[in-house]
Parts: sequence; C-alpha cells; structure tokens
Amino acid sequence: MMDPIKRNVRAPGRTPWQREAAGFMLGFAVLALLPFVFADSYSRHILIMAFIYAIVASNWDLSLGYGGVFNFGHLALFGIGVYAYALLTKLAGLDPWLALVASGVVATLAAVIVTIPILRLKGIYIILVTFGFAQLVMQVIISQSELTGGTQGIVRIPGLYLFDHNMVRDAKIGYFGIALGLLAASTIFLRMLVRSRTGASIVALRDNEEYAISRGVSLVRQRLITLAASAFFTGIAGAFYAAYQRNASIDVFGMSLATIVLSMVLLGGTGTIYGAIIASFVLTFFGEAMADFGAWRPMITAVLIIVVMLVYPSGLVGMIQAAWAGLTGRLKRPA
Amino acid sequence: MALLQVEGVCKAFGSLKAVDEVSFTVAPGEIFGVAGPNGSGKSTLFNLITGIPFGPDRGRIVFDGIDIQGRPGHAIARLGLARTFQRETSFDGLTVFENVLIGSSYGKPDRPAAKARDAAAEAIEFVGLSAQSFGRLAGELSVFDRKCLMLATAIAMEPRMLLLDEPASSLTRPEIETSIGLIRRTAARGITIVLIEHVLTFLMSLSQHLLVLNQGRVLAAGDPAAVIADERVVEAYLGTRRAAA
Repeated sequence: MMDPIKRNVRAPGRTPWQREAAGFMLGFAVLALLPFVFADSYSRHILIMAFIYAIVASNWDLSLGYGGVFNFGHLALFGIGVYAYALLTKLAGLDPWLALVASGVVATLAAVIVTIPILRLKGIYIILVTFGFAQLVMQVIISQSELTGGTQGIVRIPGLYLFDHNMVRDAKIGYFGIALGLLAASTIFLRMLVRSRTGASIVALRDNEEYAISRGVSLVRQRLITLAASAFFTGIAGAFYAAYQRNASIDVFGMSLATIVLSMVLLGGTGTIYGAIIASFVLTFFGEAMADFGAWRPMITAVLIIVVMLVYPSGLVGMIQAAWAGLTGRLKRPA
Repeated sequence: MALLQVEGVCKAFGSLKAVDEVSFTVAPGEIFGVAGPNGSGKSTLFNLITGIPFGPDRGRIVFDGIDIQGRPGHAIARLGLARTFQRETSFDGLTVFENVLIGSSYGKPDRPAAKARDAAAEAIEFVGLSAQSFGRLAGELSVFDRKCLMLATAIAMEPRMLLLDEPASSLTRPEIETSIGLIRRTAARGITIVLIEHVLTFLMSLSQHLLVLNQGRVLAAGDPAAVIADERVVEAYLGTRRAAA
C-alpha cells in the first residue's frame, strides 16, 4: 500500500496552494505599493490600463490556453461589457456598481449563446464562428444608433464612485485601487478554477476530447463553463473601462485591440494565467517606453515577441522558469 | 441476463458498411474477445457501443437493462461502460494523478472528492505505476506506462464493463505478458471485459468467448478454439488454401 503521507497530497506535482497564495500576496503587495513610486496621473493611467489588459488577457487564457477553444470573439465579450455598462447606467439609470456586476453577467450570457453553435466544431471553424459573432455584435451596435450612438459611440458615461471621493482626483488613486482589486479578484477566481477538478476537466477536453468524454466528462457542460467563466471578469473589465474612460466606442471590437491582447496571451505563455498578466504589464510598459519610435513601435514589438517565442516557446513564464532553474541550480551546485 | 446486448447494429460511411447487422451478447464477469483483420469494423463497433464519437445508424444496444444507443458518450460512461483506445492516449497536460482523478470523479460524479482521490491512488497502484509517477506529467511517460495509465483512468471509474481496444499494440513481448496479467487481475475485480486484439494468441489466452468480424459482419462466434478452427476465419486471416496440384 502507498505511503499514507503520499495519499494526503491533494495535487502531487503541482505547486502547493499555500506557496502559490504566498507568491500571489507578494505580487499583490508589490502592485499595491506602485502608487508610491508612480505618483503622477499619467503613470497611474498606464498602470490602470495594464490591469485592464491583464484581466482580459488572463481570462482569454482560460478559454484559449486551458480550454484549447479558439475563441476569437473574446474581445467582443469585453465590448459587450463596455456597452452593457454604458446602456445600463446612462439609459436605464442603474447604479454604476450594480451596472459593473450586471455587465459581467451580460457578457457571461453572451458567452453561453456563442458556445452553443461551437459545441460540435473544432479548430478553424470555431475561429470563424466566434469571429463572426464579434462582427455581428459590432454590427448590431452600429445599427442601433439611437441607443448606442452607432459609430459615434456613447460619451459622458457615469463613472464609479466611492462615497464622496472624486475618482480622478489624487492622480486617479481610486480607479487604481478598483482596477487592482478587480485584477486580484479575477486572478483568484481563475487560479481557483484551473486548480479545481473542473479545471482539470477543461484541460482533459483540450488534450483529448473523445478520451475525456469516455471518462464521463460532459463536453457541453464543461465547454459552457469554460466560456462563461472566461466571460464574467472580461465583461466587468469592459464595464470598468467604460466607467474609467467615460465613453464607449466600437473600436473595442476592432482587430487592433484583439491583436494586442492575443499577443499578451501568447507572449506570456498559454495555460498559466500568470503569464498573460506578466505579458500585459510588459507589453503595456514596453509600448509606452517605445512611444518615441512612432510607426516603428509595433514593428519592434512584433520582432521582440517573435524572438522571445522562438527562444522560449512557452513564453515569458518559460523564460522565468528557465532563469529560476538556472539560478537555483547554480546555488545548489557545490563549490 | 446479459450485461451487454447488441442487436442488429449498423453503421455506414457513405457506401461503405463499416458495421453491418452485428449482434452478440456478453455475460457478466466474462472476458469476451473480438477479432478480425484490419478494417473489419472492430474499433467502429466500440465507437458505436460507447457513443464516442458516434452511435449506430440502426440497431439496439442494451447495457445492464438500459437502452443506450443515442445517449451522449459521457452519460454511457457514467452508467459503468468504460473503454480504452487503440493508441496510447493520455491527458498530456495533466499529471498522472490528475489523469486518473478525471476518471474517478467524472466517471462517478456522485462520489465525494476524498473518495475520488483514494480511488485514483488505488487505481494507479493497481496498474503498477510507481508512487513517484503521481506528480509526473502524463506526456512524459513511456508507451507502456501510458497504456497502463489509460487502464487506470478506466478502473478508477469502477465500471461494470471495460472495452479494451488492442491493448497489446506497440508493446514488447515482456510488456504483452504483463498486460495479460493485468487484464486477468482487472477481470478478477468483477469487471466484465470485451477485448479487441489483433494477436490471436493474446485473445486465445484470455477470452472465454470469441467473435470474429470481417468486412463489418459477424464471421463466426462462440468457443474460441472452435472459432479459430473455422475455415472461414482461417480464410479471412490467411487467405484461401491453394488447391492441391
């Protein structure tokens, strides 16, 4: 019989959750202290945008990286969050905080609707359907211009509030705190999900669909869970973006934003959650640092992404792991 | 009463009749062999029974008194009908323990989490994988270990019946010997086994009943010794005897 101590290990071969929680807390503390380093409004704006990108990219990693579902309509879920918040607050007069949560729910419902036609599809056909879904949502928004403002978008959207605090005062510290809180909540949610039994079944379906079904995994149920779970915080991020920018535009459905966020998912290393978050910070700050390069900026960024992916196919997380292994190996080596 | 009853099952792909009016029954507790040349419809038959990835066009399949044709694959699995695949198959991105936990928890969804973990650990031990392998990614295992792992994921479901699709393919002779022992021990747990195999000696050493398929139809069925002596079976495997000069 096996060593009873071994039996007590809940997830052999995986990082113990206590260690992961400690790492998470450390990372959160570092991010929470950043306003002391970056006191100006512009730097904090960049940080807030990095947090929003990180939420969207890490949630995309759930469906794309863990689930292996080529959901190219992920940014449409973000856009749905943007417009749901705008319409709920401005037209329906809903409280901004309630609208924030409701926008996540609306995006989740949209994800459920788009999941139904892709249940029996694979690979490129999923890309086609989800891409078509994104275009469809955009066309609906453009066509309903009396409600959505069409191509003009919606302006003067009500922002979030915290008691009597003016959210843009003190160099946007209020929005910084909310964005960081949303990123933390989203990351905890995603990591708990991927470490759970449900998370394992999502990976099982990705690795071998027929084999997973033969072990009792329901393709319909688990794929609905995957897409719906990846949509909730994406929708909330969209709502937060609308509240923060105070405008909604159909640009959020464009290929430009989708390409940037997809770069974050792939550069970070798929199937890690943390990789997409790290890459969101790296690409956001790198993009800002390269602002003086003008039209060369996206080209230099693209070349760097290609170089990193060639050397480390598992992305930035693979690079960090290799560096860590090298460092600890050197420390352990006898003199 | 038969545990599995297959009646007049058919499946066609265009004009090709992959499985044509196949009928047989499997009694509880037996090892039932299915033989046949390449392309005779053996694996397709497993697909039709399990609904993975498709069910039959026509016919009736009754498992443990329940009509299962037309049910989704995961629901059939949860009734206690597990299968393995011809190629060594695993969830490469999951550890060995997580692979088996998929079977033990989703194959028996009512089982509490702690019991599912115990069942997974027991199944890994049963197939002979070491305790050190628990945390290894399944994709890192050898072909034989992955075949054992696939069996462990099925056993962890505590199925009533297990359909094994060519468990000896790609294995060395010593590994085949180990597999024979493992299948016997699996049957000794009270699991009814339906076994597809190319290697007739492998089938003969295990099966109590034998069914031979050829071009999608049942060629012969019954006692293994009598079946392999059947002229039609010899002809299907070896071709016709050359007429004496």
